[in-house]
Amino acid sequence: MSTAVASRGPAGVGAADPAGSRWLRRLRFFAAVLRQRPTFAIGYAIVAVVIVTALLAPWIVPYGPMVADPTVYLLPPGRGHLLGTDGTGMDILSRVLYAPRVDLAIAGIGTLVSASIGSCIGAIVGYYEGQRSWRRAVSASVMRSADVLQAFPVFVFAIALVAVFGQSVRSIVVAIAFVNAPIYLRLMRTQVLSIRRLRYVEAAYVAGASDLSILARHVIPNAMAPVLAQLSVNIGWAVLLTAGLSFVGAGVVAPTPEWGSMIAMGFQNVVTGQWWPSVFPGIALGVTVFGFALVGASVEVLADPVRRRILSGSLG
Amino acid sequence: MPILRYIGRRVLFVIPQLFGIILVSFFLVKLIPGDPAVMMLGPTASTQSIAELRDKLGLSKPLITQFGRYLHDVARGDLGTSWQTTRPVTEDLFQRFPATLELITLGLLVALAIGFPLGVAAARRRRGPIRKFADYYGLLAGALPDFWLALVLIYVFYTALGWIPAPLGRIDMAVVPPPTVTGSLVIDSLIAGNLAALASSLGHLLLPVLTLGLINAGPILKMTQSTVERTLSSDFIRYAEMCGLPRRVVLRQAVRAALPSVLTIVSVLYGFLIGGAVLVEIVFSWGGAGQYAVQGVLNADVNPVLGFVVFSAVLSLVIYLVVDLLYFALDPRMRG
Amino acid sequence: MSGEDLILDVADLWVAFPSYRAAPVHALKGVDLQIAPGAMIGLVGESGSGKTTLARAIMGLVPPPGVVERGRVLFAGKDLRRMDAEARRHLLGREIAMVIPNPRAELNPVIPVGRQIANVVFHHLGVSRKEATGVALDMLRAVRIPDPERRLNAYPHELSGGMAQRVVIAIALACSPKLVISDDATSGLDVTVQAQVLDLLRSMVQEKGAATLFITRDVAITAHFCTRIAVIYAGQLVEMADTRAFFARPAHPYSIMLLAAFSHNPALRARWTRAAGEIADAAGEGCAFAQRCVRRQPRCLTDIPTLRAIAPGHLARCHYPVEERQ
Repeated sequence: MSTAVASRGPAGVGAADPAGSRWLRRLRFFAAVLRQRPTFAIGYAIVAVVIVTALLAPWIVPYGPMVADPTVYLLPPGRGHLLGTDGTGMDILSRVLYAPRVDLAIAGIGTLVSASIGSCIGAIVGYYEGQRSWRRAVSASVMRSADVLQAFPVFVFAIALVAVFGQSVRSIVVAIAFVNAPIYLRLMRTQVLSIRRLRYVEAAYVAGASDLSILARHVIPNAMAPVLAQLSVNIGWAVLLTAGLSFVGAGVVAPTPEWGSMIAMGFQNVVTGQWWPSVFPGIALGVTVFGFALVGASVEVLADPVRRRILSGSLG
Repeated sequence: MPILRYIGRRVLFVIPQLFGIILVSFFLVKLIPGDPAVMMLGPTASTQSIAELRDKLGLSKPLITQFGRYLHDVARGDLGTSWQTTRPVTEDLFQRFPATLELITLGLLVALAIGFPLGVAAARRRRGPIRKFADYYGLLAGALPDFWLALVLIYVFYTALGWIPAPLGRIDMAVVPPPTVTGSLVIDSLIAGNLAALASSLGHLLLPVLTLGLINAGPILKMTQSTVERTLSSDFIRYAEMCGLPRRVVLRQAVRAALPSVLTIVSVLYGFLIGGAVLVEIVFSWGGAGQYAVQGVLNADVNPVLGFVVFSAVLSLVIYLVVDLLYFALDPRMRG
Repeated sequence: MSGEDLILDVADLWVAFPSYRAAPVHALKGVDLQIAPGAMIGLVGESGSGKTTLARAIMGLVPPPGVVERGRVLFAGKDLRRMDAEARRHLLGREIAMVIPNPRAELNPVIPVGRQIANVVFHHLGVSRKEATGVALDMLRAVRIPDPERRLNAYPHELSGGMAQRVVIAIALACSPKLVISDDATSGLDVTVQAQVLDLLRSMVQEKGAATLFITRDVAITAHFCTRIAVIYAGQLVEMADTRAFFARPAHPYSIMLLAAFSHNPALRARWTRAAGEIADAAGEGCAFAQRCVRRQPRCLTDIPTLRAIAPGHLARCHYPVEERQ
């Protein structure tokens, strides 16, 4: 992506700069963007905090995340247990802080897998589409298959996948990868279809470069921007999907700290008035997805040369 | 009539897609571990009685034969039997789909009522509090899990304030439901003139509909805002301004031009919610179609899952057809 | 001529577009333009010279982020810039009408053309819907659209380019405006259709007695059409004269270059056009046209010329106006 952005940057700048100061300049630009659009800064801050929390969870939680103390069940938030305890007497704060380890790992890996598989297939399909050969037929049938996959009710499909592969973290990752791959396939195909017709791709073709090297060197790097933007947004969705699966009992198994299953565990308590076992994990979940959505929105702006130009102009 | 030809092509195109969906879901569901015969007879059943039942259900035949037979049955409108409810799946679905449809139709109407005006208002100004609110609302609505929002609403309106009936099912246990005509309790109560049932069913609809409305207003808002913004800077709106047409007329023209996009996002959401409302259905014990399918998956009950997939695919087809008809009404260029 | 008698009096109009990282770009740099009632002024210039911006600035519809920095726009004695937006809106379409270049994209695609004409009439003249539709039908007849009753219900995409252009003329003249601004109105049409539409526009405008600001890239068209011609270059008027005088003795090298570009004499073209390689990049302090001027003198690069009279009613912005006949 870096090469693509550099080559689209304002003419004359960058080429002569030593690499170090170029990065410094980019960093400074990024900082200026965050100052200009504080909302984006909030997004990056949220994502950073969530990731750091996930990494440091074992050292910062006050209680064991799976240790149930039956003597203190359903304590309201207060001293000792800042966010209270749930129906089995587990500390909610510790579990909320531990949960991103599971949620982010599942969502992140699932999304990365779907993005790499989906966009590779999408790039190839887009590149060969409209060519007069058997490859065209293959492209068309891949697209029709993607149609079929996307016509499925997403949630039922995901649950079925988990059921097929057995209830485990790996199955949830597979389910997430599977239901999201068509999105990247389409995104990449549309991008490649437009990039393929650009002068420099044709030039590479005329110069005798192989299809594979044209794809790898010229097409894919320049088509990555929307994929990256989608990636961040999609991690958020994947967290939501993971939580949803756990909520119906087809995801992460109960005592493991995970936001969706925590909300599910607190479900009955909410009706009787103990809101905290469900509300806090939900807030953590919502804030996390919100953060990833903001980062995705910022990537969309930063990766779009026109909008970046406008932004850098208004930064003066 | 170009429209009939268009619809005809559309339907023809859907048949292979429907086949693909049934194919994938059939083999997917068959892969789910768990033997329905064992589940039906319980763990104490003898090997022999299990084998007999498997034969009777056709489970001992090769998968491809089973698939052929299933297709044959589907073509005749027979979706098999659920071993959990021991009723024909078609009957179960006809009972549950109206519940889901009533829920998501009203939910999307609420979402439109929130998202559309807000999107138009936000599109009119690039800055200002309305725009900010719309930006954050769009992001937040996409970030909150609907099942969690449902719980929060239950806590506030049922537990804390006590304004609504217990969030269980579609109607109070004590109220006699109206005779089924359409399957929608609201419409059936109106037909029967049963005001008690009407009030009770509306009370039960309130929170789930509000949940779906609040969450799904997000995408509608974003789509409306971006499309109206784009049309407001389009050539023909600029020309309308040059002609000195009143602001409200210009705005109305821009909004009118944005309608097809809004329609598209609503139809996509509708298709998604047929299965996607399941979490909200579970929270409110709604007994809808999504819940039925999820129960099927979790219990290796094949026929309800397949039946649900087929049903929702056909339903999506109907929705997209209706949308196409509306496109024809909205855009004269398509009639040409 | 006093301001009261003029239909349009633009004085010292500056329009700026803020630029990223740099000083704002001025699309108009102090334009003065007067139009008498019933007059037909041709405004000629290449793309990017500020023609369209001038039309927009007159109507108060400079596209954002552009801003009118200073200047005065008097319409029939009323200051359009001081007027509130609502009052100005009432003038647009009724007293100041616009003929646009690309009607099939600019007419509303989902409203029948008859209703688009009737809409303007309805909102400006305070007549009933039915009467407005009657006016629309009359206008379709007046612009000589065949089978007008049926065309009333046609959508823009169902019309040919020339037909759509006639509809736009019908909209422009439906309220009998005092000023018609035609912005490159025929550029998208075939040459044969172009001539028909131009003749129609001229006869309609004359019939209604409206003044016309006829903006075009094609200087040849103005010869048949206009009483007076103004040439705009880089946001400034560089020459203004009555049509006859302009074509007889164009004074500014840029005007001559434009005229030469349409002539069939390659030698003339070559004489007045600098080869692209000779054009320097940076615009200096002096005359905006100096870099492209074949008659450039040292002074042209340092002193800014003013628009001054070189003969009665003939203005040119040049230190060394051309005097011989071309």
